[in-house]
Amino acid sequence: MDGTEPLTIPGNWNFSYRYFAGDTATRFFSELRDNSRIMGTRNPVSGNVMVPARTFSDADYVETTEWVEVSNEGKLEAFSIVGTKFPGLPDPPFVLGYVTLDGADTAILNHVTGVDLSDIEVAAQELLKQPRVKAVFKDQREGRITDFCFEVLHDGAEK
Amino acid sequence: MNKTKNQAHIYGAAVEMSWMDASQSLTDLIFSGVTAALKDADMTLEAADSIVLGASDLIDGRSLSSMVTAPAAGAYMKDEIRLSEDGLAAASFGAARIEAGESQVTVVAAWGRASEGDPLAVSRAGSDPFLHQPLCISEMDVSAFRLSRWLGRYPDNDASRRAASAERQRRAAGNPHALHSVTAPRDVPYPLREDESCRWGDVVAAMVIGKAPGKVLISGVGHGTDHADLGERDLLEMPALRDAARLSLDAAGINLSDVGLFEIDGMTLSDEALSAEAVGLCPAGDGFRALAERQDINPSGGSEAGWCYPAMGLVRLIEAYQMLRAPQGPDGPRRAMATGLGGGGAQTATAIVLEKT
Repeated sequence: MDGTEPLTIPGNWNFSYRYFAGDTATRFFSELRDNSRIMGTRNPVSGNVMVPARTFSDADYVETTEWVEVSNEGKLEAFSIVGTKFPGLPDPPFVLGYVTLDGADTAILNHVTGVDLSDIEVAAQELLKQPRVKAVFKDQREGRITDFCFEVLHDGAEK
Repeated sequence: MNKTKNQAHIYGAAVEMSWMDASQSLTDLIFSGVTAALKDADMTLEAADSIVLGASDLIDGRSLSSMVTAPAAGAYMKDEIRLSEDGLAAASFGAARIEAGESQVTVVAAWGRASEGDPLAVSRAGSDPFLHQPLCISEMDVSAFRLSRWLGRYPDNDASRRAASAERQRRAAGNPHALHSVTAPRDVPYPLREDESCRWGDVVAAMVIGKAPGKVLISGVGHGTDHADLGERDLLEMPALRDAARLSLDAAGINLSDVGLFEIDGMTLSDEALSAEAVGLCPAGDGFRALAERQDINPSGGSEAGWCYPAMGLVRLIEAYQMLRAPQGPDGPRRAMATGLGGGGAQTATAIVLEKT
């Protein structure tokens, strides 16, 4: 090159989509909104209850046959403590976690609250014990996954 | 050994890594990488009758990017297959075309240019719109989930984590392909540590394979696909990768102990460690120690040497190929395995076994 600055231009994709949830997910989110209930569906082959509710099991490749209400309490399986700010989410740090609710055989993702994050290492030691958590619902619900979050129950850590 | 009539042999390959080089467009980088692979194979593009590509429109930031990038990889007027998958899956498709007898010489290319966009933002935008997008999880969060699960089951491994991190930095520093400069920030969610993240890079990998005998043979290929939903997966056992590795060994007609060199893909150090466990290279819970102590696992330095989805499985294969091909004593490895992981938290996995002929 002759010393000319290489050309660099900005780019931004901003397309709109219309996502169709389908009947199964529509009922799942409606139950969150209308009844503060977390529902799963049963795989008729394995008997496993999948939460969030699904139309089919991808492992056994069969339609689910039965709706099952699961407990609002369960065990924290895995977590991530997020330290980066994202639009629409709380100021960091905050915790995301996969929770297997009592009566369910699969885990569901959501925010985890009720942990003192002033010292991340101390908080992590508590979360690594896979504590019991409880789903806490918002007063104003919209039929979205953010209608609830999980709160750590400090007196019920599992070994 | 592979019982098919045709077998796929490797003739040459190249890995090129850079960062934010504004003097080169994406197509310039692809052209350079494929040209280097052809030169390594001592061939020109005329020798190839087909092309297999592994790339992602979203990482490329170009809709229908195959239209733009495929000719840069040599696809003009050739039979082209394009996968929006990890580059090792592209290599397996290339090998399948050779074994099926529908191609004599194939160029396999894969790339990802992290400096033009934000791969983690892409992964956030690409997740399930109902369950995951509202929570903004990225591939890095999935890695953190997996590590948190591991730490809960195998506490008191801090020394081996730190040793594995130091060792892969040492190995990456000696890797001639590696990026050594500071690239993108290595911000990670806890419990990951910054030094356990990848070194983001602009990566092009290319390989030339064909039916006529060469010095290294693709002797086994395996694939695996896990549940769609992370909440249904076994985050520690990584069964898709476990099965892919087993199937590749079965196809090659060998056992894991017959393989003397492993290049294991993973965006983070912990993904590499857990992948090593899934492949069966060490007992569960010993992945970090294996990376720290075993010289036959990721001598390249893994994702510390430079990383961008979806090129990395092919990078791992090329690292293994070049180490097999390098001069070595009679005790040097005759066989190698490379693994590659797909997006969506490694929902898909590929393993390929190489053998010196």
